[in-house]
Amino acid sequence: MRWWSEIRYRLRAIFSRTDAETELRDELAFHLEMEARKLESEGYEPEEARRLARVRFGGEERFREQARDAWGVSPLLDLGSDLRFAARQLRRRPAFTALAALTLALGIGGTVALASVVEGLLLRPLPVEDEARLVTFWSPYDWRGSEYDFVRERLRAFEDVAAYSDDAATFQAEAGARLLLYSVGSANFFDVLGSEPLLGRTFREGEDRPGAEPVIVLSHGLWEREFGGDREVLGRRVDLGGVTRTVVGVMPPRFFFPSPESEAWIPLDLDPASRDYGGNGWLVLLGRVADGVTPEGVEEEVQRIAAALGERFTYSAQWDKSRNAFATPTREALMGDVRAPVMLLLGAVALVLLTACANVAALLVTRTSDRTGEMSVRTALGAGRGRLARQVLAESTLLGAIAGAAGVVLAAAAFDVLVASLPLPRELGRTLHLDWTTLAAGVALAMGVGALISLAPMHGLLRGDLTRAGFGLRTAGGGTRGSGRLQQALVVAEVLTAVVLVTGTALLMRTVGQLRSIDGGFEPEGVMTVEVILPEGEGADGGPAFFTTLLERVRALPGVTSAGLTNRVPVRDGGWQGSLALADRPELEGDRRPSAFYRPSSPGAFEALGLELAAGRTFTELDGPDQPLVAIVNETLARTLLPGQSAVGRIIDRHMFHEGPIEIVGVVRNVAVDDLIGEAPMAIYYPWDQTPSGAAYGIVVIKSELAPEGFVEPVRRIVAELAPRAALGRAQSMDDVLDDAMAEPLRLRFFLGLFSLLGVVLGTVGVYGIVSYSVQRRRAEYGVRMALGARPSDLVHDVVRSGIAPVVLGILAGALVAWFASSVLAGFLFGVEPTDPASLTAAGLVLLVAGVVAALVPAMRAAATDPSIALRD
Amino acid sequence: MGRTRSDMIRGTLDMLILKVLSVEAMHGWGISERIQQISEEALQVNQGSLYAALNRLTRRGWIRSEWRTTEHNRRARYYQLTRAGEKHLGIEHEQWIRLSGAVDRIMGLSS
Repeated sequence: MRWWSEIRYRLRAIFSRTDAETELRDELAFHLEMEARKLESEGYEPEEARRLARVRFGGEERFREQARDAWGVSPLLDLGSDLRFAARQLRRRPAFTALAALTLALGIGGTVALASVVEGLLLRPLPVEDEARLVTFWSPYDWRGSEYDFVRERLRAFEDVAAYSDDAATFQAEAGARLLLYSVGSANFFDVLGSEPLLGRTFREGEDRPGAEPVIVLSHGLWEREFGGDREVLGRRVDLGGVTRTVVGVMPPRFFFPSPESEAWIPLDLDPASRDYGGNGWLVLLGRVADGVTPEGVEEEVQRIAAALGERFTYSAQWDKSRNAFATPTREALMGDVRAPVMLLLGAVALVLLTACANVAALLVTRTSDRTGEMSVRTALGAGRGRLARQVLAESTLLGAIAGAAGVVLAAAAFDVLVASLPLPRELGRTLHLDWTTLAAGVALAMGVGALISLAPMHGLLRGDLTRAGFGLRTAGGGTRGSGRLQQALVVAEVLTAVVLVTGTALLMRTVGQLRSIDGGFEPEGVMTVEVILPEGEGADGGPAFFTTLLERVRALPGVTSAGLTNRVPVRDGGWQGSLALADRPELEGDRRPSAFYRPSSPGAFEALGLELAAGRTFTELDGPDQPLVAIVNETLARTLLPGQSAVGRIIDRHMFHEGPIEIVGVVRNVAVDDLIGEAPMAIYYPWDQTPSGAAYGIVVIKSELAPEGFVEPVRRIVAELAPRAALGRAQSMDDVLDDAMAEPLRLRFFLGLFSLLGVVLGTVGVYGIVSYSVQRRRAEYGVRMALGARPSDLVHDVVRSGIAPVVLGILAGALVAWFASSVLAGFLFGVEPTDPASLTAAGLVLLVAGVVAALVPAMRAAATDPSIALRD
Repeated sequence: MGRTRSDMIRGTLDMLILKVLSVEAMHGWGISERIQQISEEALQVNQGSLYAALNRLTRRGWIRSEWRTTEHNRRARYYQLTRAGEKHLGIEHEQWIRLSGAVDRIMGLSS
């Protein structure tokens, strides 16, 4: 019970301190009055009685002090004065404070921001049931309906497997036609996810088979935007891409799959009779692992399926599904490969934070050592060591708090920029936000950092002999040697982390250089691409005419050098691929047919994109619907299927929607398909007017001397005039497309570069701090040496050498760590090894130069020492 | 301020306060008066230490205080013994008897 009364007592003393003070005064007044009255009754004059009462009491202030001590609040009152004192100390050295707070703030802010990204991407559960059992099959967006059905018949370790893909179509909304991004799923899609609708139902069995009624499930967002959250929405009919669909369900607000971009879900159309079924690889397979199956069991099953696929189907070496089969945890599959870059950046920013801590700690150690005299005096005056340590703690906590506040502001301000520049799917970024838990964690982090950095000076303070240090400082410096070693160690650590960071940056710089030097097979300058989508019905009837007229009107726009139509943007859009049959190659028949990408292109499209021909001719206006069918193949196809012979003049029997004979009239140089890196897969180009599908989708490519972005509005106007129900999709210049393709290394380079710069600055400041401190301490020695005839250059040499020693040590250790640690970067590098000697050397040199410069400044000061100082000090 | 009056023996003040309060609740001045009276002015209570002691005892939960009105209609803080205080007084008293007995025996040696 004692502790309880103790706590109650102290709480009262703290929280109603004014009350307590007042009561104390009243009690005292009462006592003095009673005493005086007694004295009066003994015969003293009233005045004298009061004076005597006070004398007997013996000092009111002392009484108050004692009472306060008894309350046990003095450490708290001391804290206030400690903090005030600390604030004064920090204000007196604005440069030090600003530098320390800024570096800590950058570290804390960066860590907090990246930690919330990590929380959102890697920790927050996906909106599905039992996420751990959901895996995504290899070759995403590359499975055909036939393969899906084949796989589904052979499941053992999986409860079930669903197929889905993403698509876009015109949606006739209240405000006119717009492009709706949606997902297409097999009938069991929602069952495999384990997700329940908010209203109505999801897909029913058989709804992904021919003859089913077209249905649609709405996302919560779409339901609210387009239907005002009307609960009577079930049974309503909507027009999606010209097909009327019945609304059967609405999903709950938190649900998204595969990405927040999908606004609705419709069933797949798995019709073995349709050409799509066996032709196009465009699906993702998503499996729910059966209960009690181990990862090894899944792996075994996956390999078994792959082997079965290899027996049943034929794959080109490039897209061979029967090899390299694996199942990815769905989170990883959805979030892209974000774990690695995000964790990398978090690691880097944590390194920066640690470096900043080390740096500030080193600075504090220096300052504490400088203040040994002050501390000794305070000890002599009766301050306990605990009190001195509290003083140091107050100072670093205050620093941590300032830095924490600045860091949190920084994180909040820069969060959107950070998320936007992370290699994330666009919409996914929008699900991320700083939340109060992360911010609170940031504040805790700041406090921790404050406590952490106070450890170093406190260590010296509590261990060193203060009384002796006070007098021995100038002659022997004995009390400060230990802290000098500590500082050296901190500098080594700073340089080490800086070397690691700079090495990573150098590697990424070389990667970007290598990527830039890749020839994508096209000319990006001044090229704009605009997606145009027609509702399906209009595509079938008026599509060709619409696009022909559109192209004519676009060509007539002022400033257009050339313009054309195609169905995919190089580098960005993989698109459809389908099986291919060549005349005279019977061994490639049946299921063993190779697969090639499908690229309808109008005349002018090659010119606008800057594609180069290797042989033959391009398409002309003469390659119309009623003319002999022709095609252009890319170099990979020519080389793979027709090695050592001329492809021009050969005949394609069948490919995708095309029935031959189709004469190959040209070979085009390879164009990057969906990735800059690696050899382009096989692709076939067809004249736009000979594509039998009734084009409902096209990309207008415009080459111009003018700014590409200026053509978006004119195209939108023309489209609106020609077909009010058509919608514009993505509009992007080819330069932006290229930048996007290199986005990951570019962004990583940017952030790592920033962190490296910080690391180098911190390291430099650290070296400067330690060298100038030692110079200051040894001024007398330098004075003596100067008086004895030492040349200034000797002193400079000496100082720089001793200052650079920890730097060299740090560089060597850092190079060693970088050598082993840079393998974490391997996945982000291209054309350069993680242990690239040039990058390591560059990093070492950068730090060495920085170290020499940092040491040189105080060294010059040492050389300028006045010999008479030896006498004065 | 007669020099004949000895100062309080260290550590006994707490016990004396508890003993005085075990009879009745009292304010600070009253406690010091009572101690001096009973000891026939032999014991002089240092008044500053008195309040420190009262605070200390309150903190330990042996006494508690409340504001009451005196017979002269003045507001004063009255202290009174708690259960824990009573118990503690018992312990202190026992220790005191043992200690003073020991001192007596030593002092009685030479006679």
